[in-house]
Amino acid sequence: MKKLLLVGLALVTVFALTACGGGEGDDKIQIEFWHLSPVGDESYSDVKQIIRDFNESQDTYYVNGTGFSFWDYWDKLSVAVASNTAPDVGFSTIDDNVHRADRGVLYNISDFIAADEADSIETMDTAVFYTNQLDFLTYDGDLWGLPFTATTRMLYYNLDHFAEVGLTEDDVPTTWAELEEVAKQLDMVDGDDIERIGFDPTYGQGTYMGYLWQAGLDFFDDNQQVTLNTQEHADILEWMVTFNEEYTRSQLNSFGEANTILGIDPFAAGRVSMMIATDGLYQTLLDYDSSMNFGVAPIPLPDEDGTRVNWGSGFSLELYTNGRTEVDEKAQGAWEFTKYLMSKDVQVDYADAVGWLMGNKEAMAVVAEGNPIITALVEECEYAVDKVFIPYAPAWHASDWFQYYDELKAGNLSVEDTLQNAIDWYNEKQDNYNATQ
Amino acid sequence: MATHKLQKNGALKGLRAEEKRLGYLFASPWLIGLFILGAFPILFSLYLSFTNYDMLSTPTFIGITNYRILLTNDSLFYKSLWNTLYHVIISVPLGIVVGVALALLLNSKIKGMGIYRTIYYLPNVVSVVAMSLLWLWLFQPSFGIVNSILDPIYDLFNMEPLQWYQSADMSKMTLIIMGLWTAGGSMIIYLAQMQDIPKELYEAADIDGANGLQKIFKITLPLMTPSIFFNFIMGLIGGFQVFTTSYIMTQGGPANSTYYYSYYLFDKMMSDTQMGMASAMAWILLVITLIITMFALRFNKFVFYLGDQS
Repeated sequence: MKKLLLVGLALVTVFALTACGGGEGDDKIQIEFWHLSPVGDESYSDVKQIIRDFNESQDTYYVNGTGFSFWDYWDKLSVAVASNTAPDVGFSTIDDNVHRADRGVLYNISDFIAADEADSIETMDTAVFYTNQLDFLTYDGDLWGLPFTATTRMLYYNLDHFAEVGLTEDDVPTTWAELEEVAKQLDMVDGDDIERIGFDPTYGQGTYMGYLWQAGLDFFDDNQQVTLNTQEHADILEWMVTFNEEYTRSQLNSFGEANTILGIDPFAAGRVSMMIATDGLYQTLLDYDSSMNFGVAPIPLPDEDGTRVNWGSGFSLELYTNGRTEVDEKAQGAWEFTKYLMSKDVQVDYADAVGWLMGNKEAMAVVAEGNPIITALVEECEYAVDKVFIPYAPAWHASDWFQYYDELKAGNLSVEDTLQNAIDWYNEKQDNYNATQ
Repeated sequence: MATHKLQKNGALKGLRAEEKRLGYLFASPWLIGLFILGAFPILFSLYLSFTNYDMLSTPTFIGITNYRILLTNDSLFYKSLWNTLYHVIISVPLGIVVGVALALLLNSKIKGMGIYRTIYYLPNVVSVVAMSLLWLWLFQPSFGIVNSILDPIYDLFNMEPLQWYQSADMSKMTLIIMGLWTAGGSMIIYLAQMQDIPKELYEAADIDGANGLQKIFKITLPLMTPSIFFNFIMGLIGGFQVFTTSYIMTQGGPANSTYYYSYYLFDKMMSDTQMGMASAMAWILLVITLIITMFALRFNKFVFYLGDQS
């Protein structure tokens, strides 16, 4: 028995040591790629296959893909970039790409394209990407990342609910006035309890900045100074929080809270008839295997002089220098892999694998074929604009704003006080930021 | 006689030196870890606290600017510090009271006590995330079970239902009450010490005619002061680092009422990418915790160490 155990132990040791030995692609230049499909994720195998296909097509480079969950990825990446241990190529966010470009942690994509053109090598045609996204990835006249994915926000409407009250797809609202009129018909109340809400501007992805953009306004001016102090700003915020003023704050909060705690999207759960949401909601409905009869439309515009625009962001594909000043063979390999990932066919495969809208419009034309929802979402990407990066308040649209916005929604702050508090806070942050520069 | 005393002193010194050597030997794995893996990041964070560092470019030395801004021109700094102090002041004593009370209850000799002890300890093995989500349900003002149970009381006093974590006035207290659910962790320590109390003391008290309460207050509690003191100090230090429940349940709201110091520090680093400022916050917190802990250590004179007496 003892001998048997010893032999077993020896075998295990041999196997373990063998595993520590040379890996696949050791004779090639190793490229590190970080993505968002970790082991166990539904898309893991497909993404692995996409990487494998590249490796099999290569004599020079070998890509090691590492997947992280969405919630872990960003902290890991930011620490890795800070310590010069970032991957050679990885995803990041488009809106703050300029910040990384400014700090010199990224390779200049325009230089790679120019070098390819100089060497008459097939390179990337940036015309297949959305102009809005390319603008956000341009710093000092050069590209510092590529738009790997795109997102957009649209109005989702439940046609079953519409039918219940005698409405059809022709009644889908296009203006704020129509939105209110249709929404009220769709509300359902039982005593003190709201059972269904037609629409609420604060639900889902309905954002104050989004409504401001539609009205030609913004949080900040071109000099990054806060501009929330006009009557128009106050009017739009007032419109948002008084849209359902026939209900008490307590009723609305309970209804909203129930949606959050249930962990189910309120639209998918049939609790809200119309809601602004990202393209991700379409994927959620598919995942739920929902039998809901629904459609998507551009977000209704202000009644006068509205601009068709929505908040759209996406993941950029960036090449990290990790302290290197020259393009070495690893950087060149990362660029070759980037071109592969951004190509039409691979973008189609990636869209199939993860269900995202991709940055390559030609690829999305293929993905959207025969699917009216994806077709509409892809079309709306043309009107998507990202939020601007404010160095003194990178989270200006999130925690910096929510601390007052949530209080407004809870009925504890007036519209005027909300805006004034926000202005004071942004100014304080700017003063403090400037003092450290 | 004098020679004997000298020899005795010499032997004692030798024993103490040996004890010291052994002490360092046993502590050495931790000490090596601290100096090699801990000391550098600690000292580096001290350096960073005097710099402007956005985690992308090289840190630039800016003297005490970070400290000056935090102490004189940051409205959220004091708000978050006050929230944290409030949490510490209420939760630490309350946690001790509940932990000791639980230990007293679970020290009885009744059937199935092992099961009860396990049940009360169980919340400590539940992940904080799961626990926070569970309590979100329980404390939900409109349809949570807590308000459903309290409904008759609200009716009796003709009062509005408490809004718990949705109200800026109640939110900190809600998280503190929720924290008591894990009092079973300290309860185990109290229980262990309680069972270490010599039975002769209770027998003597019985002979003197002491009742149950007198035995608790005159024997049990005084002899439990070492573990109470330990939990008090650890509670203070841990209390200043409160973060997770607020991060998951309230995201610092409403009205920043649960925006604790560590949460603000985290946001300074991850949202604002101001690592220098975050490092300064960490050092300020260290100093505050050190001062308060040193002050708290003065309570040591009220601690009754049985070993010392014998």
